[in-house]
Order: sequence, then structure tokens, then C-alpha cells
Amino acid sequence: MKTWEFIVRRLLLLIPVLIGVTIITFTVSHVIPADPARAFAGGPKAQPDVIERITKELHLDEPIWMQYFYYLNDLIHFNLGRSYLESRPVTDSLAQYFPATLELTIFAMLIAIPLGIVGGIISAIRRNKLSDHLTRIIAIVGYSLPIFWLALMLQYVFAYQFPILPLEGRLAIGMNAPQSITGLYVLDSILTGNLPTLGSAFYHLIMPAFTLGFATLALILRMTRSSMLEVMGMDYIRTGRAKGLSERTIIYKHALRNALIPTLTVTGLSFGGLLGGAVLTETIFNWPGMGRFAASAVLGFDFNSVMGFTIVVAIIYVLANLIVDVLYAVVDPRVRLGGG
Amino acid sequence: MLFFLQYSSIRLNEKVIKQYKVYNDESLIIEKVKERGNIIMGSFKKKDMKAGVLAIIVCAMFLTIAFSGCTQQEEEEKPEIKNPTTIVRYDIGDAKTLDPADCYDTASSEPIFSIYDTLVTYKGNDTLTFYPSLATDWSVSNDSLTWTFNLRHGVKFSNGNDFTAEDVKYSFDRVLTMGAPESGVDWILGQCMDTNSTTVIDDYTIQIKLTDPYGGFLALMPYTVAAIVDKDYVEANGGVVAGEENVWMKEHPMGTGPYMLDHWTRATEIVMVRNPTYWGGWEGNHPERVVIKYADEPATRILALKNGDADFAYVPYANLEDVIGEKGIVVHPFDSYDVALLAINTKANNNEYLANGEVRKALSYAFDYETAIENAWNGYATTLPGAIPKGMPYYETQNNGQPYYTYDLAQAEQILDDAGYAKDYDLDGTMYRFNGTTIRLFYNAGNAERETMAVMFRAALDDIGILSSIIAEGWPQLLHRMYTTDDWDMMFIGWGPDYNDPDDYIAPFMGSADIGQDTYNTGWKNETVDAKILEGKYSADATVRAAAYKTAYDIYIQEPSFIFLVQRAYIRPWRDWVQNYTYNPVREWYFYDYYKAYE
Repeated sequence: MKTWEFIVRRLLLLIPVLIGVTIITFTVSHVIPADPARAFAGGPKAQPDVIERITKELHLDEPIWMQYFYYLNDLIHFNLGRSYLESRPVTDSLAQYFPATLELTIFAMLIAIPLGIVGGIISAIRRNKLSDHLTRIIAIVGYSLPIFWLALMLQYVFAYQFPILPLEGRLAIGMNAPQSITGLYVLDSILTGNLPTLGSAFYHLIMPAFTLGFATLALILRMTRSSMLEVMGMDYIRTGRAKGLSERTIIYKHALRNALIPTLTVTGLSFGGLLGGAVLTETIFNWPGMGRFAASAVLGFDFNSVMGFTIVVAIIYVLANLIVDVLYAVVDPRVRLGGG
Repeated sequence: MLFFLQYSSIRLNEKVIKQYKVYNDESLIIEKVKERGNIIMGSFKKKDMKAGVLAIIVCAMFLTIAFSGCTQQEEEEKPEIKNPTTIVRYDIGDAKTLDPADCYDTASSEPIFSIYDTLVTYKGNDTLTFYPSLATDWSVSNDSLTWTFNLRHGVKFSNGNDFTAEDVKYSFDRVLTMGAPESGVDWILGQCMDTNSTTVIDDYTIQIKLTDPYGGFLALMPYTVAAIVDKDYVEANGGVVAGEENVWMKEHPMGTGPYMLDHWTRATEIVMVRNPTYWGGWEGNHPERVVIKYADEPATRILALKNGDADFAYVPYANLEDVIGEKGIVVHPFDSYDVALLAINTKANNNEYLANGEVRKALSYAFDYETAIENAWNGYATTLPGAIPKGMPYYETQNNGQPYYTYDLAQAEQILDDAGYAKDYDLDGTMYRFNGTTIRLFYNAGNAERETMAVMFRAALDDIGILSSIIAEGWPQLLHRMYTTDDWDMMFIGWGPDYNDPDDYIAPFMGSADIGQDTYNTGWKNETVDAKILEGKYSADATVRAAAYKTAYDIYIQEPSFIFLVQRAYIRPWRDWVQNYTYNPVREWYFYDYYKAYE
């Protein structure tokens, strides 16, 4: 099967996945007897005309299967409904929060991937030496530290005791966001040539990106180390050595390429997972991203927002899986896409 | 209030006392050194004595200087003021709209109050006096129906347009025509006005003929819904469409107030800068910029306050311990208008006993108000005699401002016994009343204060032989239960102010559905109380209103449909470099008045 055929087939599979996701989220959010119209209209202070308008808007006066039909119909037209918590269309909210999360994730990954892979290699080729022990300690710490604790500690140390980094947010207090082109502040600042915003955006990324990257770094490091160890014990490595290849060539040309496949899986899925928003990191560093949005939507019973978020996350996950699968073939030509 | 002050000052002083103790101890050491020196001196020869005295004096001087230096240093070493011309406030959530015609939440009203002006306003912490703002003075006809406002001359909107009476008429009619599609807040003006009410007499005189002689009319005028917009500006940007929000006005506010919107980044911050044309002028100390930051995590807000990023921060009651006694942070509670109540469903499906006024009276005696204040509210609340909170006009009409019910289980048991509800139901050897019927106490899941109060109340009910259970549900589920079913017995609820008139508190709780009230669907109804509530509402005569509200209260409290739990304190800890801050429960955040300096 050709690569593009595989991609199209996988993309078509998105449709049943999304239908499944909407059925589950719709049922979960609608099955409990509740009065969302009154809740959105202001609870006990709600005025009857507002309750009536919202009831009509959400088709709450119709049977649940009809409500689902209306919802799907809107979805096909890229209308995710209205966020009552934010008093604007859910798509507007997602358009603001997704780039924030994307930016944070990219920077977290920029920290995690190179450090993780290099650390993993060092750890593997210097097995049981000091550098191996050190990297293993980092990995264990990164893996077992609760992310909220790390975030709070970093804040306490670097924004309070030794205030060298900003406490929270994407930009300095009161600073206007750069003109929105991509929604990624760093990129937009570069594109618009806005240096002060660029500096501030970078500066504000350090702590949250490190926090988020640290746990992923640990994961990548462990994965790279173990697969490197496995590969280094293979016959073809021994053959390579017997041939008199330099250790450098063996590691970087022959071993690493094979060892990277499991790392690629972990990295790709972590990337997809992080794009759904890291609730704790985003909440503590007050990063207006998907995680914080989802958390406040759930707590505020803003069903449209919750469902909109879930759909986006489902799409991201499927796409992340797809990209990982395609990358397998790039890294290892023996892998045949689609199993055919 | 006194209690709050005492409590907070004790907490605040803790650190000072500690420092004082240290200082005192050091003085003692110096004294002891001197005493010791004297004793030792006695055995010294004169020459040695001189040297000894000298040594002691030098030592004493050194110690004194050292310690006085220490304390002085501690007193003087105040941190540098961060962002000295900007006021930064950290809060939760986000504004929903910046259009005053559709604003019905506190987060949105805060910037609106700074960007727009109203005809009359409140000042400082005074809730009992109306002060001129865009109106310089006003009068009312003898029948309380016609109000005439003389408007301020020379006022400009921040876009340079002149403010005239046309703008006032346009603003009020806009609210009533648009009908606040998102929030429904138009009801506040709709109580006594329609689009025919407002007449322009001349450029600087406006007349409002009320549809009903509402006693609380003037109290509506300082609220955001009565803020004045620029007619030309709105007409150029979407105008007024009945039943539809104006998307432009929602995000592009423009008024005559002291500040203009610089930017609003959703879920992040609202930044306002000075309006150079502000009629109040910029002489004296006023902030250049105002930033309202939104951060959901309490730990982040607390750290922002501690490191000086925040001048004010919202700190939940449970986290106050983290900031009390911190250097440079002021924690001072004020009486808010937020009240906590326990609604009793008098038509509960599963509990016929709650229909009996005597039972509801007994339940009012079974709540331990004082302990609840300590346990659920960390001491930051006060008792509440009835629906009207302390600080609001006519508060005293409620049992002279004293709680009618106190915690008295013996009294509760006596009332239940007298009413014929003896303990005649045996449950595993313990006797209960009401044939073993359970009272189900509901609260919205996640609300820690309500949970604590529910647990306390349940224990007290058990003591007087009433079975009960506690159920936590999500807010939309509770609303469904309350308004669509009678499948609930008692529910913990809260209420905050719309505007500063007791009608906004008495009517929703003590009025019946017959007069469009009974906001919590308790089924309560008393015709005399209804009549008195309407009498108070439709009179502008303070004596008539006071008498009407007193009669209504005296009848209602005998068989209440609510247990009036507490009035919450309002606490927004602030940095000690903020000057001129005061709290007003009906019109918060006069940023224009604040400035940053050490004084």
C-alpha cells in the first residue's frame, strides 16, 4: 500500500472515531437529569426569557436523540455551539487556547527530545558508570515527581525566593499579545518583528515548558536507554565491530536508527497527549491553554465546551498516531504501512 | 464586624508580637549584662572598675546600637514598590462581556464600572448615600413617579464626543429594547421603566416617569445596567437590535469613566489605561494603568501577592492562613452583602413535615450559627437576622438587627414535642421523630463551606431525633431538582446583591410565587407578607417602607422557609503599599481612587 493510500484510509477512520466520541460525551453529559439552561442563564437569578432562549438554542425541549441529531448537524457545519461560560462560540475559545497549548508543548518537547535521546544514549553506552547512574536518577525523579509539586516548587524558588523568572502567564503583566497570525506568541512576535513581546514570550515559557518537558524527558530517556541496550547486544552490532567500524559509526549509524523506533512511539503519543492540554501545568502557571479551558468547562458544566474539547483531542490523538506510523516507515524502511 | 477586626488584628499582630518579644528579650539581656556587671563590679578594684564600666558601656552601646539598628532596619526595609503606577489585581474566572446592557456578573461589572459612568454613584464604603456622578442633582415628584436629573456639563466620552441627555435616554431605552439576551439583566430597569419613561427636557436635563413608584429606583441608577453609553458610537457599531446582543459593544467598551480599555485577552487579563478626557481630572494620585489578571490556581495568586506582582489577590477563606502575618500584606475583612441560607422546601414530596411552620422554626434553632462561622468560614462571617444583610438600608427592621434564632437544641426539641412530633420511631435502639422520615440536605458538590455546614447540621438534627442525609450534586442537577421537581427537602444556597435596595433581598426569599417571587421554589406563601413587600417596594417614603418591612419580617420569621445562616466577610488581601483602598459591597473597585506609595 502506498503511503498516501494509508494516510487517506486512516483519515477516513477518523469519522467513526469521532462519531463514537460524540456519542459517548453527548450521552454522559445529557443523561443526568439537569437544568443546564437555567444554570447557564444565571441559576436562581435566571430570567424566564433567557432560559427559554437557551432551551431553544440547545433544543432541550426535544427528545435526546433529536438533540444529538442537531448537534451532529451543527458539527458537520463546523459549529461546536456556544460556550455559556465564556459567552462566545466554542470554536473561538478553541482557536485561542489551542495555539497556547501547542506553543507550550513544542517548547516542552524541544527540551525533552534532545535531552532525552542524548541522555538515553549516554546512559546506555556507559552502562553502570557514573553518567548512567546520574541520568537514571534524573529519569526516576522526573518520572515520579508529581508535576504540580514540581511546578509549585519552581514557582516558589524562581519567582519568589530568587525572583529571576516570571511567576505565571504567557506575557508580562499588562503586555498586549502580538498581532495574531498563528496564535503562537513566539512565532507571531518574530513574524511581526516585535522584539519586546518575543523576549517576554520566551521568558514566560521557561518554567512551564521545563515542568512539562521534565516528565516527558524522563520517559524518552528511559525508553532510549533500554532500546539502545537491546540493540547494542544484537548480532549486527557485533558484526559491525568485527568489521572494524568505529564505535561512533556503530552507535549513530547502525544502533540509534533501530533503537529510535520505540522512542518515536513514546514521543509521538506524548506529543499528542500534551496537545490536549496539561491541566495541572497550565493551571498553576496560568497558561491559557486547552487543559485549563477543559478544567474550567468541566467544573462550570459547560457541556458544549467539554464536547468541543473532546473532539479536538480525539482528532489530535488520531493524527498523532498516524504521524508516528508514517514516521516508522521513514526511520525503518522495512516497516510496511497498512500491514499489506 | 468588631469580631472580624479583632480576629484579623490579632492574626496580623502575631508577627509583630514575635518581633517585639525578640527585641524585649534582647533588652532583657542588656539589662542582665548591666546587672551582672554591677555585681561583678562590686568585687573589682576601682581601676578595674573603670575598665569594667567602660567595657560594659561599650558592650551595652554596641548591643543597643546593634539591636536598635536591627529593629529600625526591619521597620525601614520595605520592599521596592513593583509597577508603581499600575494597580494589578488577581482574581478568578474572566469577564463575560464589557457591554453594560448585558452584564450581570461581578467579573464583568468591575471593568465596566471603571470605563463607564452612571448618573448617581456610591463613594468609599458608604452604602447609604447617593453621590452625584453624571447627574449633578436630582428631584422626585410628590407621587414618587417622576424623577428629574440635571446633568453634568462639559463631560466627554473617551472618543471625544460630548455627553448629553440624548445619550442617557438612548442608554436606558437600549437596555429595555435589547432585552439583555445573554443575561436577562434588563429586568432590573424593567421593574419600573419602559421605553416611554425617559424624556429629554433639554441637553442637560432628563426626566424619567416610572411605570410604578418603585422605592428602590434611585438604587438602580448606580448599577452597571444604568451606565451611560455614547449614542453615536453605538449607532455606528451595530446599533440596537431587539433580542440580540451587540457583539461590538461586548468587546469594545467606550464611556465617560476614568479608564479606557487597552486590551482584553480572554482568560488572561483586562488592561485599562487613563481616559485623558475624564471629567474628574487627573490631579492628585491616580493609577496610570489598571490590570485585572485572571488566575484560577489559589497558590499562584498567593505567590503573586507575596512577590509583589499583585496589589490585590482573591484568596479563598481556607488559604487565608498562607497570607496572614506575611510582611507587606494586609488582610482585612469587610462585611459583604453575600449571605448563606438553607432553603426549606415546604412542599417536599418526601417530607410532609416541612410544611409545618413549627417544624421549620425548630430547625432554625437546631443550627449552630457561631460554630459554623468558626468551622466553615474560618471566623470570616457573622450572624444574620433575616434576608437583609448588615449595611443595607432597613437592616434594623429585622429584630433590631439581632438574630431571631440562636442555637438552642432544647428549645428545638420542646417545639417539636409541643407540635406533637414525639420520638416514637425506633431505629436500632435510638428513637427518632417523624416516623423515621429522613431530611435530605443538598449542596452543590465542591462547595467546602456548605459541606461543613451540612455535616454540622446533620449531627445537630441527630441530637434532636431527626434522621437526615447529605447529598452533593452538580449545580445543573440541583437546579433541575429545585425548579422542576419537589424531590428535595433542604438545600444550602447563597445570594449576592444586584443593587443596594432591600427589595432585592426580601422579595426573593419572603415573597411568594403569586407576586413573581419565591425565587428558590420553596412553596412559601403568606398573603399579608406579600402585601407588605409590595407596599414597601412601591413607596419612596422611608417610614412607610420601614414599617412594611418590619411587619413582613415579624410574620415571616415565625414560620420561616429559610434558615438565615451567615453573612460572609469580604476579603481581598492587598499589599500595604496600596493607599486609599476601601470596600463597598454594592460598587466594588474604585481604581481611580487608589495609588501606590508608602505612607
